[in-house]
Order: sequence, then C-alpha cells, then structure tokens
Amino acid sequence: MLVAAVAVAAGPAPAAAQTANGTLNAAMNGLARLSLSSAAITFPDADPDTVPNVPASQGPIGVTAKARTSVNGAVTLTVLAAGQLRSGVNTIPAANVTWTATGPGFSGGTVSATTPQTLGTWSGSGVRTGTQAFLFRNLWTYSTGTYSVTLTFTLTAA
Amino acid sequence: MMKVVWSGVVAAAVLLGASSAYAQATNTGSLNVSATVAAKAKLTLGTSSLTFADADPDVTATMTSAALPLDVKARTSATGAVTLTVLAGGDLVAGGNSIAISNLTWTATGTGFQAGTSNKTLAQTVGSWVGSGSPSGTQTFSLPNSWAYNTGTYTVTLNYTLTAP
Repeated sequence: MLVAAVAVAAGPAPAAAQTANGTLNAAMNGLARLSLSSAAITFPDADPDTVPNVPASQGPIGVTAKARTSVNGAVTLTVLAAGQLRSGVNTIPAANVTWTATGPGFSGGTVSATTPQTLGTWSGSGVRTGTQAFLFRNLWTYSTGTYSVTLTFTLTAA
Repeated sequence: MMKVVWSGVVAAAVLLGASSAYAQATNTGSLNVSATVAAKAKLTLGTSSLTFADADPDVTATMTSAALPLDVKARTSATGAVTLTVLAGGDLVAGGNSIAISNLTWTATGTGFQAGTSNKTLAQTVGSWVGSGSPSGTQTFSLPNSWAYNTGTYTVTLNYTLTAP
C-alpha cells in the first residue's frame, strides 16, 4: 500500500491542484501460523551396537513458522511431548528422543514430557523455514514393542 | 483535481498498530512419533580358544583355564526369558584317545551366570535372565589332572547359544 501511494504522489503535477488528507487504518494484528511437512515420523528397529542413535525413516521434517508481531516482538517455537514413549505398559523416556535443526533461529534439543523445549526463537515478524531431524537413542535395555508419543509444537508471537 | 496524500498517514497507522494493537498469537501443530524395538540377541566371547597347560598331577590336581569373558546383549519383552547355554561338540579328543566331556566343569562370575558341567548331548545353562539388558560375566573352566590320561593334545569345541524370545 505504501508503494502505491508513493507512485501516485510521483505523477506529473497538474496546473492547478488541491490537496486533502485521508486516513487509512490498516489493522495488523498478531498472527502465528505453523506448518510441519509431516504429521508422523517413525524410527525403525536397529542394532544398538551399530546404530546407537536411530534417525527417523522419513528424514528431517520441514518446519515453517510464520509470525506477525511488533518490531521487536519475541517469536518462539517450542516442542512438548504428551508423555513418555509408550508401548502397552512399557515406556521409554521422552528424553531419549533428540533433534538437530537447520535454519536461522532454529536450534537442536532434547524432547521433554514436562517442559516445552525451544526449537526456534526470532525477533519480529517474518517467515522462517528450517528442518528438524529427530534421533532415537537405541539401547539394549528397551523391552520389545512399538512405542509412540505425540509431540505438540507451539508457535507464539508475543 | 483532488490529490489525496496517503503515504504519511499510512505509515503513522502502521506504527500506531505496532505499538498498541498487537496481542499474543499462538498456533500449534502435532507430530506423531513411533519407534520399533524388536527382539535381538548378541553374544561376545572374550576369546575363541582356551588352553590348559600341562602340569604334574601331584602338584596340580586340577587344571584351570584363564577366565573367559562373556558379554550378553539381549532385547526381549519385559518378562522375556533370556538364556545362554553351552553344548560340547563331543568329548575331549586326541587322536584315538578321549577324556569324557563331563570332566570339564566351570565356575562363573556375574549376575545371572552359573556354574556347570559340560555335556555333549544336552545343552547346559551358563546364564539366565529376565527382560532386556546387557549382562557380562566370566566363565573359568577346570579339568581334573589325572595320571590315567594318555599323552596328547586334547581338543573339543564348545557351542554357545543365546536366546531372547
């Protein structure tokens, strides 16, 4: 809108002109939108001696965080597990899932079932894209089974 | 002609909004994570051969081997029975001479490991555990040193089997 207004102002000046002021109110409310390239990831079975940290079969997931906030408004993206990885009555600590990340403002971390862990922090409005590659700590002590947990990502634009 | 000058007004409106009109905005997404943990068993023997040195039966009534390290790794269900057994390939043999395999006994160290006597027909338990884990221990073999043995270098192969259901 600002560019269009400048173009009008830069046109040839008429022989006679009259000016008047108009008011345009543009409401720019805070907005946050998060998208993940995948809704699920799986860690395949592997020998703990040869693959101590198992990467997800799907590879890294893409993360896009769109935020509209104040000039210096804090934008944060966190991850929280709904609980431990569970297979029936057997569990594996959520902390045995870690991640590495790429992309400006994104950071690696360890999944927690109690405290949201930071995946990314930024300042101000913008669209930020990155990747998150999960790793599963592979131990001999695990009981056999198919373990699962849901991770909740929260994007906040202050 | 009327010319409306918007530029300064728009900029002011945007700045005003930046300082007072924003409220915290949040958006969430979810990711389902699953991990497959399948049964596995892995046994590592610290050495592939053991030797009893020759000795005077009156001085050394029982020949003793060096300790054999045993590393067990098993992944099974929470109540899965993990067992390690050993079965001799036959008697100790030197050409046409033999020493009954039942003369070969062992002691053991390590949680879940146990002493026993070698057998060539029935696998003997060296260790047993419940659930996943990676116990380790040692097995030390003994052979009575008898004047009745014929001279020779006697050998036998012991076959170990680790099972994790």
